[in-house]
Amino acid sequence: MELGASVLENISLAGDVAHIPDKLFGKFLMCACQGVLLEKHRDAVADNPAFKDLEKATLKSAYSGLVTLILEAAKHDTTEQSISTLLEECKYTPERIKEFTKIFTAQKSHIQLLLGKIGSSFPHIVDVDWRLDYYMKNNHMEKVNSAVYLISLKTEIPGEADTRDIQFSCSLEQLQDLVGKLRDATKCLEKIAQV
Amino acid sequence: MLLAFEDSHKEHLSFLVDLDPEVLNEFGLISMNFIRKGTNPKVFQGAAQKLGVPVETVQNGVEGLMFLLTESCKYMLSEIDFQDSVMTLGFGEETRATLLGLYTENQREVRSILQEMSMELPHYRDLEWRFDMQLASRSLRHQMVPSVLLRLVTEDEGEKKTTMLETDPVNLVHMTRVLETALQEMKSGYCRRIARNIK
Repeated sequence: MELGASVLENISLAGDVAHIPDKLFGKFLMCACQGVLLEKHRDAVADNPAFKDLEKATLKSAYSGLVTLILEAAKHDTTEQSISTLLEECKYTPERIKEFTKIFTAQKSHIQLLLGKIGSSFPHIVDVDWRLDYYMKNNHMEKVNSAVYLISLKTEIPGEADTRDIQFSCSLEQLQDLVGKLRDATKCLEKIAQV
Repeated sequence: MLLAFEDSHKEHLSFLVDLDPEVLNEFGLISMNFIRKGTNPKVFQGAAQKLGVPVETVQNGVEGLMFLLTESCKYMLSEIDFQDSVMTLGFGEETRATLLGLYTENQREVRSILQEMSMELPHYRDLEWRFDMQLASRSLRHQMVPSVLLRLVTEDEGEKKTTMLETDPVNLVHMTRVLETALQEMKSGYCRRIARNIK
């Protein structure tokens, strides 16, 4: 994990007792974590009466420093040791380092979960519906008499609220082919899982 | 069942009744060709000159024969029903045999041509899968997320369409199970009974 000079400066600002008193640091850090996790808490620091005596510009810089540190540390899964070293360099007291580690470690897995969801992917299949019809005749032909399956794959698309359906039909033989291939894939996965 | 012929159709076919079995067979081959590729008026002229009859008569005869073939295939007439239907038109024994031969020989092909003309739903063609492990992304390193990529090929009106999809192992197993039950359903007593009774 490498952070730029201005970011390090902001992190130091958050650790400076002159700007953020000891009793507010924990709360401030929690606010930063919540701001990362939940969209509605994004501006919590500005509205929180606990911080109203602090200078606005400093608060803003300190906040951005902590948020960057939280995100980068979660992204790289940085060890406690490395975080401690970094904070020491930013002139944090051992108590503050301890507090940071405690609060951050508790939130880390949630933040990583959130970060893992960001990114692009193909439509993700989450369910499948089927319907079995018996195709009897059409305007050109009598006695067609064959089974037809209508398959509908429910997919989730990143960034979209609704699921989208992918529909197609299958004859009995085609469905056998499809299921055979899916079974192959499942077996292959099971084998890998056993290793 | 017997085919019911309309008067105009009977009249058009009446020209064929007195033909030589060999000539009739020739007409049959031309009809099949036209069913495959569409009509070609030049052929009518040639045949009309050879037989010394008006072009229109030849055209009506060939088209009548095409209609006879497609209708018989549409209803999947049995050999006996086909012969009986043709007999009502006044064909003799030899020509009847010629027509029957034409019908039985080409029934499958005509059915498949009719099938192509029928309404089609987008249908399954092929599926390819591959198994990936997501290791890192821009926003998060050190990941271990298994994913199954699927490429589904469907076909609609002869046009192939490829869809890229993705799923996770749990959903893959779920999807496989659900579709296996779907396959089993066709073997159930209920579905077999219905299929047997629809003739």
